[in-house]
Amino acid sequence: MLRVTTLRFCGAVVAGLFALSTAHAQGIEDRLVIITSFSKDVTTPFAHAFEKKYPGTRVEVQNRNTAAAVAFLRETRSNPPDIFWASAPDAFEVLKKNSLLRSYRPKAQGLADKIGAYPVNDPDGFYAGFAASGYGIMYNTRYLRAHSLPAPKEWDDLKKPIYSGHVGISAPSRSGTTHLTVETILQGEGWDKGWASLLEIGGNLTQVSDRSFGVPDAVNSGQYGIGIVIDFFGLSAKASGFPVEFVYPTVTAIVPANVGIIANARNEKAAEAFVELLLSDEGQQILLDPKIQRLPVRLSTYERAPAAYPNPFKDTRLGTAVRFDVDLSEARYELVNSLYDRLITFRLKELNAAWKTIHDAEAKLGTNASDAAKRLIGDARRLASSVPVRESEAADKSIAGSFQEVKPGQKVAGRQAEFEEKWDSFAVKNYAEAKAFAEKAAAGR
Amino acid sequence: MARGVEIERVSFDYGATRVLHEVGIQIQPGEFFAFLGPSGSGKTTLLRLIAGFGRPSAGRILIGGRDLTDTPPWRRNIGMVFQSYALWPHMSVAKNVAFGLERRALSRREIASKVEAALDLVGLRALAGRRPAQLSGGQQQRVALARTLVIEPDVLLLDEPLSNLDAKLRHEMRAELKSLQRKLNVTTIYVTHDQEEANATADRIAVIEGGRVQQIGPPVDLYDRPTNRFVASFLGTVNLIDGRIEAGRFFADGLSLDGVTADGGPACLAIRPQDIELHEGTGGLSASVTAREFLGGIVRYRVRVGAQDVIVESAHRRGATPHQVGSKVMLRLDPRCVTILR
Amino acid sequence: MVDAATAHRAIHVPAAVRWQASPAQTAALLLIALFLVAFLIVPILRVIVVAFTDRDGTFTMVHFGDFLRTGLLREAFWNSIYVGVMTIVVASVIAVPLATLLARYRFRSAALIHTLGVVPLVMPPFVGAVAMQLIWGRNGTVNLILFDWFGFRIPFMDGLNGVIFVEALHYFPFILLNLSASLANIDSSMEESAQNLGAHGVTLFSRIIFPLALPGYVAGAALVFVKVFDDLATPLLLNVSNMLAPQAYLKITSVGLADPMGYVISVIMVGCSLAAVGLASLALKGRDFASQQRGGGGLSQRTLGRAGTIAAACLVIVTLALVLSPHVGIFLLSIATVWSFAPLPDGFTLAHYATVLREAAPMIGNTVLYCGLAAFIDVVLGAMLAYLVLRTRLPGRRLIEQIAMSAVAIPGLVLGIGLLRTYYDVVLPGGQPLATFWLMLVIAYAVRRLPYAMSAAGAALQQLHGSLEEAAENLGAGKLRVLARIVVPLTAGGLFAGFVTSFATAAVELSATLILVTHAADAPLSYGIYVYMQSAAGRGPGAALGVIAVVVVAIATFMAYRFAARQRGLRSREMF
Repeated sequence: MLRVTTLRFCGAVVAGLFALSTAHAQGIEDRLVIITSFSKDVTTPFAHAFEKKYPGTRVEVQNRNTAAAVAFLRETRSNPPDIFWASAPDAFEVLKKNSLLRSYRPKAQGLADKIGAYPVNDPDGFYAGFAASGYGIMYNTRYLRAHSLPAPKEWDDLKKPIYSGHVGISAPSRSGTTHLTVETILQGEGWDKGWASLLEIGGNLTQVSDRSFGVPDAVNSGQYGIGIVIDFFGLSAKASGFPVEFVYPTVTAIVPANVGIIANARNEKAAEAFVELLLSDEGQQILLDPKIQRLPVRLSTYERAPAAYPNPFKDTRLGTAVRFDVDLSEARYELVNSLYDRLITFRLKELNAAWKTIHDAEAKLGTNASDAAKRLIGDARRLASSVPVRESEAADKSIAGSFQEVKPGQKVAGRQAEFEEKWDSFAVKNYAEAKAFAEKAAAGR
Repeated sequence: MARGVEIERVSFDYGATRVLHEVGIQIQPGEFFAFLGPSGSGKTTLLRLIAGFGRPSAGRILIGGRDLTDTPPWRRNIGMVFQSYALWPHMSVAKNVAFGLERRALSRREIASKVEAALDLVGLRALAGRRPAQLSGGQQQRVALARTLVIEPDVLLLDEPLSNLDAKLRHEMRAELKSLQRKLNVTTIYVTHDQEEANATADRIAVIEGGRVQQIGPPVDLYDRPTNRFVASFLGTVNLIDGRIEAGRFFADGLSLDGVTADGGPACLAIRPQDIELHEGTGGLSASVTAREFLGGIVRYRVRVGAQDVIVESAHRRGATPHQVGSKVMLRLDPRCVTILR
Repeated sequence: MVDAATAHRAIHVPAAVRWQASPAQTAALLLIALFLVAFLIVPILRVIVVAFTDRDGTFTMVHFGDFLRTGLLREAFWNSIYVGVMTIVVASVIAVPLATLLARYRFRSAALIHTLGVVPLVMPPFVGAVAMQLIWGRNGTVNLILFDWFGFRIPFMDGLNGVIFVEALHYFPFILLNLSASLANIDSSMEESAQNLGAHGVTLFSRIIFPLALPGYVAGAALVFVKVFDDLATPLLLNVSNMLAPQAYLKITSVGLADPMGYVISVIMVGCSLAAVGLASLALKGRDFASQQRGGGGLSQRTLGRAGTIAAACLVIVTLALVLSPHVGIFLLSIATVWSFAPLPDGFTLAHYATVLREAAPMIGNTVLYCGLAAFIDVVLGAMLAYLVLRTRLPGRRLIEQIAMSAVAIPGLVLGIGLLRTYYDVVLPGGQPLATFWLMLVIAYAVRRLPYAMSAAGAALQQLHGSLEEAAENLGAGKLRVLARIVVPLTAGGLFAGFVTSFATAAVELSATLILVTHAADAPLSYGIYVYMQSAAGRGPGAALGVIAVVVVAIATFMAYRFAARQRGLRSREMF
């Protein structure tokens, strides 16, 4: 055992010496440490490409889910990794706020400034977008066939009673991209109407997963039939041979995936070189790989893409319907997460029960419902679609601030736990009442 | 009701080894019967077969005339006291004793009174609420006894019950056991390797060695008239002298004896140490004392007669001078006290 | 003339003699204490201090008040208790008949069955739950067949039932192993005297055998409760979030939220686990039956008749089929091309194994190294501590024992963060922080599994009569020689049981691993599985790695069982 370790050690020293010489020749360090939430399918091609271009540098990839990565970076300020590479813009915002990122403006040219309404790069230069992804609907063809369900196309389709218990989503508090989709809906339809939509879709949800990959995984297995997922999950699953399809709805969020250099990084030059590689022609080309299926931010790359490849810059449907206000999103980020969790994630059973009863009542009563019944159903719907926070309150610094890291001297309206408890009781009460009203309506004529 | 036990040509194999060879014993109802033998002789195995732990490879076991060979242990109504007492540590003394009664359709009050009576019998009524871990060895043994007696078994089996007690307690307990048995008149089989214990308590003894019955009989018979060398030497010290008998005379190397009423031919003479007289005078066989041990009540001498070494024991009287080592003495053997073994 | 004062002074007994301990033993106890302080207490404290502090750093209990006021969290609390208790019930239904069967009847393949009894502990993370869904889920193998043929489904995996089901299948070996050991230690005369007095069958079992084996059962049940109470992987993967452990995890790992509630929940979880363990030992006070019985010998072994053999075989096969279904699922997944909404995969391939052996071969070696080392540390420290507790009178040894036992109640996530926080700034020669050096992973595994080795060693040591050691000492052997030549060989069975449990559970540990692993080259199998399972194409390889993990552990267990069985054979009671 000791022998092997010693041999390994000697081998490493020798290799290191070699690498050192080559690396120095090129002017960048011999090591690059990347912490990322991307899967091996994404990281391996880029790591290989980088090592090929800079033979003296060894790329080390640490794979962690976003939250663990952020927690890790918080703990390891003294000797951090070099690059943070993830799809969730919210993680980057948190790191930026905590001064864990170093500003760097890429030298690459030919990149888009905005995708739809969303800026590709951080205006302060702390992180850059290197690819984009959209949100859409993925479904398992076998499952739909077995349950005789039509394929959904739009968000509104997911409100239909036939899909009750067949849909899954990941929680916005656990998936930055889902969060942005939710925020897009809220900004697009307005706060109250947006929440109403989310709650009505929530009535059909069978699962709110805590990790992004949980949803496509379940749809791939056929555990449930329909998932609200990031595009590359659906597209790459299809490319892997699973019996699934993916569609972009008309209103969708296209968000960039980002890369950023970590403050205090040891291997600065290597880190910068990596960012440049991502944004170069060669790097952007890699994104088209069927296993990866991200949308490049370099306009020229699309010319070499396969015919049906989505192009958010040409295809005006994608991502332009909403004027996305980044600051608003940031201000109420944590609050929206918590609200979604209280109203939907942790009270899913009750929400499902309420909406099922409403749907059943509507089906039973049909078109010739009495006025009283119509009123009851209307009330039920209202109760099952309302939200305990007004839009103005959501953006209020003191209220939204309760959910954030408080700076000394900052005033907050209460503790996070207090709000959450209030919202939780609100949800429980409302859903129960909605269910009761709908039952009453159904019992009548 | 006392029942007899009949062991009919029972053999038992443990794996490939035959451990009991065609053992046949008849035990009378109400008898206090001992299985006596060294460890490994098979006596405990035989006892366990009677209890139903294991099935004979051949032969039958009858109790009260009923063939119980195929009956499982829990239906035999036999009480067994284990060498380790086997009191259940998670139950109190009273519960331990009551256990056997709970199988039967008795009311709680009846059970309680029987338990009390049983504990009274062994003198432990006061300890009814204690746990076994809180009792001394002797007390545990009595509880084990009470536990078996309370079910009024047809036969009582005791597996070396006194071996874990100290000497003084052993003497007390064995007397108590004997008197209890007398009182209850229950057929009892007692397994032991201690011949003194067997002699003191049993009505009859079966000497078992190498899986075979060597001899059965009352203790005195076994002692005075052993039928083979093993029995002779197991039940107390004995002198075994090999020689020949010719015309009423026994010859051995350096030793001869007249008046022996047995057929001629090669023979082994067995005589107990206390049946040999030692005196400094005339008449008898000349011998010399090679060793001497003072044992309190008796003095034991090792004496060389011709080419033979014999052991002689004489009662010690206060004031009497024992024979010195190396002194010349005369031996006198009484031919009537002699047993001839072939 | 000697007055009282001088007499008193003269009788002063040196401390070493009073404590019956040698300097070496004292040093050993200090070493263990140091280990626990450095790698358990300090890291945990650094993490949970958050639960007790206000935003500006002052001590407060207001967060605990918030916990009690929050309906969702109260619900989560009761759900966790409910799941814990129900898991004990279901696990008992599986384990008790199996243990009794194995103890009572002669089985030719006892070794095999004992091995298969440990394998459920080795449920690779992520992949295990995916496999369970594929087989038992709403549209899994069983339900698809049921629905096609009979028109109904059974909600095995829905909600809390799913969690109970998976956990019971995962953790029942704790009850099986502990109960089996207890049954094996019952003095055979206990059973025989009961039979002699008329008891047999169910009466015999319920009045005599089970009460005497109760310590083993309670120990196993307590362990099951604690593990289930603290398990976050299973509820998360089954998407049950209204239990304490997943709530804590979700809160602690939320990006951007500085929420103390996660740590509050951690503290409550630790408290409940400790309470459960404490309750168990309280219930067993005075029921130390093992040491009150003379010999062991266990239950009398019987051979089954033809009908009995068939019936027993059926029971064993059904139980094992149930228990090994996740592993079967993982295996199928590892050789599947595509498995989606169908009872069985569409097609089969060995490509995933090729991928894994090409890309992840070093991880296999890493797992064997880390887990083997951790298990070894556990056995050494655990045996040392058990010996010091049972054979010496050193002050403080019971306290240290309690602290070590409590390690099982600490969530891996919390320990991982704590170790990272405490040791990241300690830099090794070479520039690498201590916290991310692979040895820290070994320590993290060892600390949380020390209780297994300790209780196994303790149980084995209790069976060993002190007179055996005293005889050796009397013949001139020093304490160390006594340990090496007498104690260790005769307790080897127990030590190996501890080793195997440590090794098996460390091989699939994920929560601390995720926090502490930094270099892919240093990563163990569980990390590899996690990485693979992040993408659709990685399912197959992830499952392949899972299978390899199970196989590695199974081999180690089987070898350990054979060794331990040989040791046991040397101590069996004689027939007559």
